[in-house]
Amino acid sequence: MTGSQTTRNAPEATEALRLVRVSKTYGGDGTRVTALDDVSLALPRGTFTAIMGPSGSGKSTLLHCAAGLDKPDSGTVFVDGQELRGRSETELTKFRRERIGFVFQQFNLLPTLTVLQNTTLPLKLAGRRVDLNRARAVLERVGLGQRLDHLPSQLSGGQQQRVAIARALVTAPSVLFADEPTGALDTHSARDVLTLLQESVRVFGQTVVMVTHDPVAASYADAVLFLADGRLVGRMSNPTAQAVAERLTYLGDEVARQRRQQRHQVGLDASVATAGRPRKEI
Amino acid sequence: MFGLAVRSVRRRATAFVATFLAVFLGAVLVMAFGALADTGAATGVSDLDQETLTTMAVVVGGWGLLLVAFAVTSTLTLSVHQRAMEMALLKSAGATPAQLRQMILGEAGLLAVVGALVAVPFGALSGRGLLALLKRTDQVSEEVAYAFGPVALGTGLGVTILAALGAAVVTSRRVAAMRVTAALSSAAAAEPRPKRMGKARVIAGVVFFGISLQLSVMAALAGPEGFDAMQFAGSADIMFGLGLACFAPVLMRWTTTLLAGPILRFSGASGYLAVLNLRQRTAQLASALTPVILFVGIGVGTLWMQVIHNDTTPLSGVSASEEAVETLNFVITGMIVLFACIMLINTLVAATTHRRREFGQQRLVGATHRQVLGMVAAENLVLIVAGLGFGTIAALPTVLPMSYAKTDSWLPDPEPGLWLGTAAVAVVVTLAASLGTARRVLRTPAIETVARAG
Repeated sequence: MTGSQTTRNAPEATEALRLVRVSKTYGGDGTRVTALDDVSLALPRGTFTAIMGPSGSGKSTLLHCAAGLDKPDSGTVFVDGQELRGRSETELTKFRRERIGFVFQQFNLLPTLTVLQNTTLPLKLAGRRVDLNRARAVLERVGLGQRLDHLPSQLSGGQQQRVAIARALVTAPSVLFADEPTGALDTHSARDVLTLLQESVRVFGQTVVMVTHDPVAASYADAVLFLADGRLVGRMSNPTAQAVAERLTYLGDEVARQRRQQRHQVGLDASVATAGRPRKEI
Repeated sequence: MFGLAVRSVRRRATAFVATFLAVFLGAVLVMAFGALADTGAATGVSDLDQETLTTMAVVVGGWGLLLVAFAVTSTLTLSVHQRAMEMALLKSAGATPAQLRQMILGEAGLLAVVGALVAVPFGALSGRGLLALLKRTDQVSEEVAYAFGPVALGTGLGVTILAALGAAVVTSRRVAAMRVTAALSSAAAAEPRPKRMGKARVIAGVVFFGISLQLSVMAALAGPEGFDAMQFAGSADIMFGLGLACFAPVLMRWTTTLLAGPILRFSGASGYLAVLNLRQRTAQLASALTPVILFVGIGVGTLWMQVIHNDTTPLSGVSASEEAVETLNFVITGMIVLFACIMLINTLVAATTHRRREFGQQRLVGATHRQVLGMVAAENLVLIVAGLGFGTIAALPTVLPMSYAKTDSWLPDPEPGLWLGTAAVAVVVTLAASLGTARRVLRTPAIETVARAG
């Protein structure tokens, strides 16, 4: 595949994910929005990282670029030491199903497939041997061993999300990305889902990257990365919900202050406007 | 609400293309044949000419009306159904059922009026062409002057607009009865439909079969002379096709059971997904079966019937009325087949576009474009096999009695060319419409298709 690139840039073997100077801009001239601005980061294997920031800070874009669902304008992404750049859509799809797991806010289970069928689908699509015992074991682990033949519409939101996690884990991916996995759940189900993600890291050595805006959800992670206006602006280890919430409030105020200042500056000197970082809508 | 209807049509022109096309083509046909009635009614036209012209206007025009109503209803229902989400949002924003009805009626009325008005010049031209055809084949005398008058305009405009409004009323009732929560929750939208068929459907199907059988028996007993056999046999395939259409979900399930084994064995993950879809969503996929059955059944049935008739009628005996009947047959068949084609394309395009989110979800789990297209192809293969099989069966009530009446043998000479030609068109149209749409849908990045709510 991309052997030469891999060896040339080979990051540490203990790294599951590395982003190098990743930038991404949306929109045309008048409505230009910088979603990611020169973001670099490296996450070791077996870690649980939360990415937080005010809405519109580029959290989801970061996740999509890291997972190969969106292509950055510049910069490189390495998953498991493999570079994502320069692959076709089909190659990316094949790469994703081998090495990346994804959990969404809206579950995205296929409505016509049963719990067991949904779980084994990634293996089928990849043409891999479907190990039913392993699939059952994973479903057992997420607490759905008794629901193998149910359709998603017969399950609660929390149960559907647990199926989605089982589906993401069954391929034993290098990184599991979760985009607001508890955003559509009640507190109780959210706790189950978060415990499950945490357990997959602590017990099974899975690497998990989760985007969330909920400080409680973030407190389940080993570390929190803070994002504002497309830039990484801070990191917190062993987070507690309260500390994260405080940091987030401060971050929100800080961003608002910077934007006011920027607007002020733009008002003073119109020529600076193009140089200043474009504002993102909240 | 009419203001909203106007904006709705303008903003989403493509969604209304099919309805517009059905109205437009319907109006052109009805007007063209209405013009024949106008022409025949003019002073100075001989009685014989008048009879030929009026018969044609009434027979073909009558079928035309039925088709317009059918096609407009099906396209309109589909376009409204696809927008269940939007309707639910309007409801949750406080729109009353009456207001929704007004909006749908407004949309349909607008489309019908515009479609019918645009059709006027085309209808006038087609009528002129039709008369020229009749003159050239000596079915009508040369001196008859073309007239485009009250009958053409009255039926053309009046009937199409009324048909569209009627269809809109039926459709809007269904929408008004829909619950907001059901339409808004995506899980409910995906819930498999009940597997049992409605009683009304079964009764309608049995009635159609009954009429078809009756027509077949009358055709078989009509004897070899003249057009009696043809007169009865000609409509038998239409009735049988409609009867089969009533049982479309069952037929689809049978075909799925039959083909599931080979598909699972030969087409990997794509086939696996296709078979699961066919089992869980029979009703949705069966909606495309009706036009395929009608297309194949009526196409093969009527053309074969004409071949049998021509083969058994001595060349010297070919009269003006023979030719008139042949022309009529071809025109009616062409019309029905054209409408079936539009319905088929519309159904497939709408249904495939509607699966945007499902395709996106599959891609996110790791399905490549090729695998998604393979799944769509496998599903449509089952549709095609069912359509060709049952369409051919639908042609038999026309062909067998016709053969018996003309040759005393139930089995006519096989016409492989005719069947293959019809089948080829069905296959090409089905695959082009579904795969073409799927390819277009796949151009949107997967993550965008699932990000949108609903």
